[in-house]
Amino acid sequence: MTGNTQQFIRQLAEQAAPVRKLPRPYTRAAAWIGLSVAYIGLVLLLMPERHDLSSRLHDPLFIVEQLSGLVTGIAAALAAFTTVVPGYDRKWAILPLLPLAIWLGSLGPGCIDELNQFGIQGLPLRHNPWCVPFIVLLGAIPAVAMVVMLRRGAPLTPRLTAALGGLAAAGFANVGVRVTHPEDVSVMLLVWHVGSVIVLSSLAGSAGEYFLNWRSVIHASEKS
Amino acid sequence: MKNPGTPDNHFGELMKAAQEGDAAAYVRLLEEITPRLRQIVRAQRRFLETEDVEDLVQDILLSVHAVRATYDPQRPFIPWLLAITRNRLADGGRRYARSAAHEVTVENLAVTFADKSANTPMDEYGDVTALREAVASLPPIQRDAIEMLKLREMSLKEAAAESNTTVGALKVATHRAITSLRKILVKER
Repeated sequence: MTGNTQQFIRQLAEQAAPVRKLPRPYTRAAAWIGLSVAYIGLVLLLMPERHDLSSRLHDPLFIVEQLSGLVTGIAAALAAFTTVVPGYDRKWAILPLLPLAIWLGSLGPGCIDELNQFGIQGLPLRHNPWCVPFIVLLGAIPAVAMVVMLRRGAPLTPRLTAALGGLAAAGFANVGVRVTHPEDVSVMLLVWHVGSVIVLSSLAGSAGEYFLNWRSVIHASEKS
Repeated sequence: MKNPGTPDNHFGELMKAAQEGDAAAYVRLLEEITPRLRQIVRAQRRFLETEDVEDLVQDILLSVHAVRATYDPQRPFIPWLLAITRNRLADGGRRYARSAAHEVTVENLAVTFADKSANTPMDEYGDVTALREAVASLPPIQRDAIEMLKLREMSLKEAAAESNTTVGALKVATHRAITSLRKILVKER
């Protein structure tokens, strides 16, 4: 063995304090989901304006939309936590695609009806201006928690990991917004809700290398 | 599922012990995986010099060290190690491509005393005052690193002891300081 590397190994071993093993991805995903649900639930409880959801609970498309949005968030969180553990199959990253497709599909019939009714020029895209900021507000704490938790892993695919984390946070926030904002104009939902989730997820992905990189992981390990 | 007695299981046991703070097991693990890593690096990067291969091997070892908490003893060790190795090799390849893109091949490097351009007096090179001001403008950690390592020519170990930090943290601070100095001095030029 080259002397230099031998000496390097000795130095690493000298710094090697006992480490707390990272829990498995599904355990971490469950912890994150618990925290996010608690935060979003608390914000919704504190909201002065409430909507009566009881009539919408009998609408199968509304139920499918909410459930698929929620499952997209859960699947994205699990996939994000898997991508920071070396040795897991990369195919985990495509886990959210199926619920995401169902979510988009649940808006399809409404969009087609509106297109037939109003034509492409008259599609109703006017929207409550607080909707997107509210998704950001509800997703902020889950997103910060996600970043803190992801930074404890290995930054193998920073952009993909961050995009999945962003999708999880924005997906959960969207479900929270839909509880307070149960309109059923599907084109508007597609543009403002799904669009916001996709844009926030893409923004998170493009910033992935700033908060998930080997330099900061190595630096943090030297300080600990 | 792991098979008892396989190298994977052996490495997994050593890493488990290392996670619990067993330094001897950790040294043994790193020493045993190093020849394998060197072999992988050589096979994947045939064009690299021995020193560059060793740099990459050390880079992988440092990464393994930094994320050793992500290893789950219930899962196989070798896929865990190979995922880190592949990732660091890809990063190393990107770094190499970036640095190669900024290098210019010079066939006749003017180094002889007969060549006028090789005899530029050192005093005329650079602006000492600007450099001193640029060093003074650095954040305290980076300034201390530059002063101890470059101006007072202390060893990394001595500087780490004096500043009550680690060798790795000093290396990072020095790297950042040099990047900042380069930016400041280029801007002023």
